[in-house]
Amino acid sequence: MRAIIHEMWDMRNILFNFAISDIKIRYKSSVLGIIWSLIEPLLLLGVLFFVFSTLFKFEIPNFPIYLLLGLIIWNFFKNSTNFALSSLVNRTPLLTQIYLPKSIPAISACLSASIMLIIELGVLGIFMMILGYTPPITVILLPLVFVMMLAIILGISLPLSVLNVKYRDVEFIWGIIIHAGFFVTPIFYRFDMLPEYLQNIFQFLPTIQILTMAHDLTLYGTLPSVNTVAYSIFMTAMILLVGYGIFRKLQARIVEEL
Amino acid sequence: MTNASISVNNVSKSFRLFHEKRTTIYESISGFFNRKQNYEILKALDNVTFDVRPGEMFGIIGKNGGGKTTLLRIISRIIKPDSGSVQTNGKVIPLLALGLGFHPELTATANILQSSILFGIGKKEISSKIDEIIQFTGLEKFADTKIKNFSAGMQMRLAFATAMQVKPDILVLDEVFAVGDLDFQTKCYEAILSFKKQGKSIIFVSHDMNAIKEHCDRVLFLNKGKVESIGEPNEIIKLYENFSKSHSGEQVNI
Repeated sequence: MRAIIHEMWDMRNILFNFAISDIKIRYKSSVLGIIWSLIEPLLLLGVLFFVFSTLFKFEIPNFPIYLLLGLIIWNFFKNSTNFALSSLVNRTPLLTQIYLPKSIPAISACLSASIMLIIELGVLGIFMMILGYTPPITVILLPLVFVMMLAIILGISLPLSVLNVKYRDVEFIWGIIIHAGFFVTPIFYRFDMLPEYLQNIFQFLPTIQILTMAHDLTLYGTLPSVNTVAYSIFMTAMILLVGYGIFRKLQARIVEEL
Repeated sequence: MTNASISVNNVSKSFRLFHEKRTTIYESISGFFNRKQNYEILKALDNVTFDVRPGEMFGIIGKNGGGKTTLLRIISRIIKPDSGSVQTNGKVIPLLALGLGFHPELTATANILQSSILFGIGKKEISSKIDEIIQFTGLEKFADTKIKNFSAGMQMRLAFATAMQVKPDILVLDEVFAVGDLDFQTKCYEAILSFKKQGKSIIFVSHDMNAIKEHCDRVLFLNKGKVESIGEPNEIIKLYENFSKSHSGEQVNI
């Protein structure tokens, strides 16, 4: 483990170089460039707000902020895993021409998504100011939630990047999971609106725990219970451990499969 | 030999040659229950051992599919050998297939920067050298052009110039000059000569026997993954040519 951290430190320059050039390539020859990463969630926000507050008459206090926060967190999850999924395949020429630790592309993909997350959080801040909303003091703990989220994302992204080299259908399966996840995660509804039996099942999903914590800290000023925090930390560690294990096992001969 | 710059010890490598490669999960599952072996083992390298000395230009010759590129990839750490080991003394820069891992969507300058960072050169150090690299390649006009619009020769120029600037101790060249024009080839050989004088080593794979004869100090003839012989260039090339003549009826097994 220490050797890995050491290697990562040596490679920090290339991690940032990849992350930034990935973003540049993504928005190449588009006039608005990175602004698209802001327009997209805002448009989705508009649609969801219209559908659920006007048509379905959901009554969630501060609904726009509730929605935007959920969308931003979900986007972070979706973007980083999607970028990471194709990160090794997209760098085939590089990986077959020179030596590179196989974890670098997936990690730099998560870094790109983190950069986009920070920009989107800036938009959330502006959004709050426009609406005249002052978040409770507990919001200062929000970065910790994102750190946990990043660990979960890494634990999923690393194995996804190698699995997608071995089995190209991983891409399609993951697409479906992301799609389903959007509805399962309480982004445009409150978790307690679900029937109890669904709550009992879904509460084990770490992304839901994370989102609930983020909502609590930003909107309700309540601290998550010790149980929630302990469970989330445990799940995060498990995902990271299992994910890294899969990655390690598959990465050794992965260049030969590219 | 203890002071070798590269020492390759008993390296073997096999590939599974799939007749129908299973790349989807369904095929994997159905193949798992239907355990017919659908691949054969191709022994790309079989117990290869040799040393390269400091200041030496070491040629490798052999037929297509003979294991040359596999050997270079193992020396460059891109793939791992099944058994055996490779020790290298210093920074190895491979120039395989015309690139240094260039990204087609990035400009020449951005790619120089990326490759340099990949080989551990600081951002500040390299930005002062970018002009120098571009000048060496004679591609000043194309500095901000995307690599995907470059010809093979232009890519090779860029790769070679960048490789020389990141100060390797060992340079691994796989048939790189075949796409360069005469002027640039001369320039490259000059650069290699001064590189050699600094006590650094080059591994050079080529099908151009004149180039091998002229520039290499020793040559290895690799035949179907085995070391046929190592020695003085003229001698080995003669051996290779005789071997090719007597086996000319044989199919290349790839």
